[in-house]
Amino acid sequence: MYGWIWRHLPGNTLVRAVISLLLILGVVYLLFTYVFPWAEPLLPFGDVTVDGGAGAAAG
Amino acid sequence: MIQDETAESSDPAAEAFPPPEPEPRPARRGRARALAALGVFGELLITLGLVLGLFVAYSLWWTNVEADRSAAQASDKLRSAWAAGPTGTPSATAPGATPSGAPAAPYAARDGVGFLHVPAMGEDYQVLIRMGSDNATLAEGVAGVYEQPYRAAMPWDAAGNFALAAHRDGHGAKFHDLDAVHKGDAIVVETKDKWYVYKVDNTLPETSKYDTGIVAPVPTGSGYTGPGRYITLTTCTPVYTSRYRMAVWGSLVRVDDVDAKRTPPPELRHS
Repeated sequence: MYGWIWRHLPGNTLVRAVISLLLILGVVYLLFTYVFPWAEPLLPFGDVTVDGGAGAAAG
Repeated sequence: MIQDETAESSDPAAEAFPPPEPEPRPARRGRARALAALGVFGELLITLGLVLGLFVAYSLWWTNVEADRSAAQASDKLRSAWAAGPTGTPSATAPGATPSGAPAAPYAARDGVGFLHVPAMGEDYQVLIRMGSDNATLAEGVAGVYEQPYRAAMPWDAAGNFALAAHRDGHGAKFHDLDAVHKGDAIVVETKDKWYVYKVDNTLPETSKYDTGIVAPVPTGSGYTGPGRYITLTTCTPVYTSRYRMAVWGSLVRVDDVDAKRTPPPELRHS
């Protein structure tokens, strides 16, 4: 997978390394900006309030 | 050749520079394909591990950065709205509309009710208080006022429980050190015109997340027997989990007027 991507990047090793770094940063940016904020409420790690289990309040 | 392929499938770095290989013989083609599939599977697992690691960093670090930034902006906004408005007017009796257009009634104050000071959690500990204990509100690095299952009484109400929630970790982690608050410690709520000084009477180290009685008007388990002017701080415990809830209960000791210089009450002065 990563080997395939590397082989299909243009340029010499240095150019490929720079492009790879940019791709990684882009993926991290997308994760932090869109994926994690979406996933976090679905995971039971951030619940701090008490409720009756009805789910009306924050769990 | 077989050794090369094994190394290639388990090590992405090696795959990045594949050795030149001769055209595979037909009998070995199926096996080579299986190894390649295994290699991709391994890379996916490595990727999953990295993403989970990033998620931990996001939860415990990045959400704090975001929440602190957002809370600092909102706090500044509230303080400048206070500074712009007329001072010395008791908010409970005559909430005057401020020139900046801030809502007149403290209940509707979307920008914030005031600030929570708990010296036991740090000398300059200050948290913005907002209405609501839903995820979106608490994610902004504030202490949220419970509106359900019990609608919390506000500090200026004649009786009731001013119940607050905040995150233990992530999203500002404003109640991270709530376990450092003990009986006798001071809790001060600062509004535009008043300092509400509470004293901690009891703490509950651990309870079920369904134990809604801890935020009731007369909190169950607090030792209070009748109506009064109480404050309750809740968060989750143990740290880094949300398995149980913990609570700190206090009762109102006195109410000080805010002077022109906003001199803090003795409880908040560092000796």
